[in-house]
Amino acid sequence: MSTLGDYIVRRGLQTLVAFFILITIGFFLFRVMPGDPTAILLLNPRIPPETRLLLRERLGLDEPLHLQYFIFIKNFFMGEFGYSFHYGRPVTEIILSRKMFNTITLVGSSVVLAIAIALLMALVAARRRGSRSDAGLLVFSLATYSMPVFWLGMLLLLAFSVNLGLFPLGGTISATKVHESTLDYITDYLWHMALPLTALVLIQIGYNFLIMRNTLIDISMEDYVTVAHAKGLPEKIVMRKYVLRNAMLPFVTIVALQLAGIFTGAVLTETIFSWDGLGLLLYEAVTTRDYPLLQGLFMLIASAFLIANYIADILYAILDPRVRYR
Amino acid sequence: MIKKYQKRTTRVSAIRDAIIDLRRTLREYWLLFSNNMLGITGLLMLGIFVAIAITAPQLAPYDEWEMGVCKPFEPPSAVHLFGCDELGRDLFTLFLYGTRVSLIVGIVAALISTMIGGAIGIVAGYTGGKIDSLLMRITDTFLSIPAIVLMIILAALLGPSFVNIIIVIAILTWPPIARIVRSQVLSVKEHPYIEAARAVGAGSLRIMTRHILPNVMPILFANMILQISNAIIAEAALSFLGLGDPHTTSWGMILHYAHVSGAIAAGYWWYVIPPGLGILFLVLSFVLIGYALDEIVNPRLRRA
Repeated sequence: MSTLGDYIVRRGLQTLVAFFILITIGFFLFRVMPGDPTAILLLNPRIPPETRLLLRERLGLDEPLHLQYFIFIKNFFMGEFGYSFHYGRPVTEIILSRKMFNTITLVGSSVVLAIAIALLMALVAARRRGSRSDAGLLVFSLATYSMPVFWLGMLLLLAFSVNLGLFPLGGTISATKVHESTLDYITDYLWHMALPLTALVLIQIGYNFLIMRNTLIDISMEDYVTVAHAKGLPEKIVMRKYVLRNAMLPFVTIVALQLAGIFTGAVLTETIFSWDGLGLLLYEAVTTRDYPLLQGLFMLIASAFLIANYIADILYAILDPRVRYR
Repeated sequence: MIKKYQKRTTRVSAIRDAIIDLRRTLREYWLLFSNNMLGITGLLMLGIFVAIAITAPQLAPYDEWEMGVCKPFEPPSAVHLFGCDELGRDLFTLFLYGTRVSLIVGIVAALISTMIGGAIGIVAGYTGGKIDSLLMRITDTFLSIPAIVLMIILAALLGPSFVNIIIVIAILTWPPIARIVRSQVLSVKEHPYIEAARAVGAGSLRIMTRHILPNVMPILFANMILQISNAIIAEAALSFLGLGDPHTTSWGMILHYAHVSGAIAAGYWWYVIPPGLGILFLVLSFVLIGYALDEIVNPRLRRA
């Protein structure tokens, strides 16, 4: 017999294995692949050669490869990712900052909004399957699903910022404006967030809607729903107590599975709207070839997602006990 | 038991039988496919794009790299259908050439990633045990990390080139395929004929390539088509971030130039709209074809 406790431990061990796979990927990317992370320092004549030697020593680049691997593992668990070439500050400090807050705010609110809107659309479509509004919603979601998010962002900018002048061209906050109160600050923040949020929500709605519509239609054809109808229960009650309640689990799964994909969208959205988050930071780290920052970003973002997946799995097991027996 | 009077199978007759069977199967699939209106629409759209890609040099009014054929950021006109970029290049010409890159990168990357995913899925599903657990842990790790982060870093480390973009996309998009194929293999390998093959002494490699692979082929193919649409979006995203090959023009690259040249803030919509529509419709065509095929090979989805 398998209990929840066993499941948590088993998934915990699997997550630990995943962490070692992640560290190995990171090691191959940043140590084994050609290219010396300190080489970029040569481009700057003001940096003395001793600095480079010191950095090589600190990163353990002169050690044999297998020793480097252990140093890499140790540094990872100590949260030691070195100093950013570009900012000159510890990588961990740059990442665990306001930028992370900005990304979480943008992504988090987009996920919630996209679920709510897609659910409403799915309810309409599933109830009137095959109708004109169903077809319209399907076309809409197929189109947004096939759209690159950065292009959608460009269109929103062209329409609402450039032509109508309703929203700012980018950024997180008006740099020159003096904010009189907290409320004033929040309003300014939300005003900047409106367009990137719209782009991220639109891009998720298509996928969410297609899955939710299918789930709702599948469940409406179950025998117990037919029985509920036959008993003469009103449509609203059948929907809420029989169909929606059973549709909740698949919804949870799709959101958890989509998490990594949404972040991908966030990187591109932040780049287009200069939203001061981790995605924009990643873009800047690539364009400035900021090696330590790239490595830190990769390891920290990937770790966050491994842990998030672990938590999602456990929540799912609590909601649906059948999972544990797998 | 092989009966003595049974006609001996020759290589020629085997090939002939195979072709007859293949034709029959294809005809069946085609009938199902042609009943699917959206699938046909996708196929027509794809046909147009392929025609554009092949005839791009003939259709293009200018040379791909010829600068100063018009004023920088000139709006669309009868001479320059899509207007001009900041270097005075004809955007219509660039759009035509961009079709090629998107198609080739999408198809080749998807082909490679499907092969990797298929191989990993078959080996994991058929072998089971420790190898299966290890391969699935690797697959899950890749699945839970946002692909773009790895893609950006790998593309930046490898350097911008046409081949590198294909490699980056191919080696980072196989995990979903491996998962799908593995679950399919798990059910296929329970069939009696697999046991029979093992009983007559067929090795694992032979069973995997001769008996399992043909059974997962239809699912593999349908997913490869869907994979192409993912690869096209991935290529556009990487090129947009400035990680594409500067010696080729792709739709993502045009959008990258539009972004960095400040065309958006200036409101030059003609720079932005055509390449995006190109991506949208090309991706949509593969999505439509892919789902139509999925409906055919996946009996659960077939409408009664």
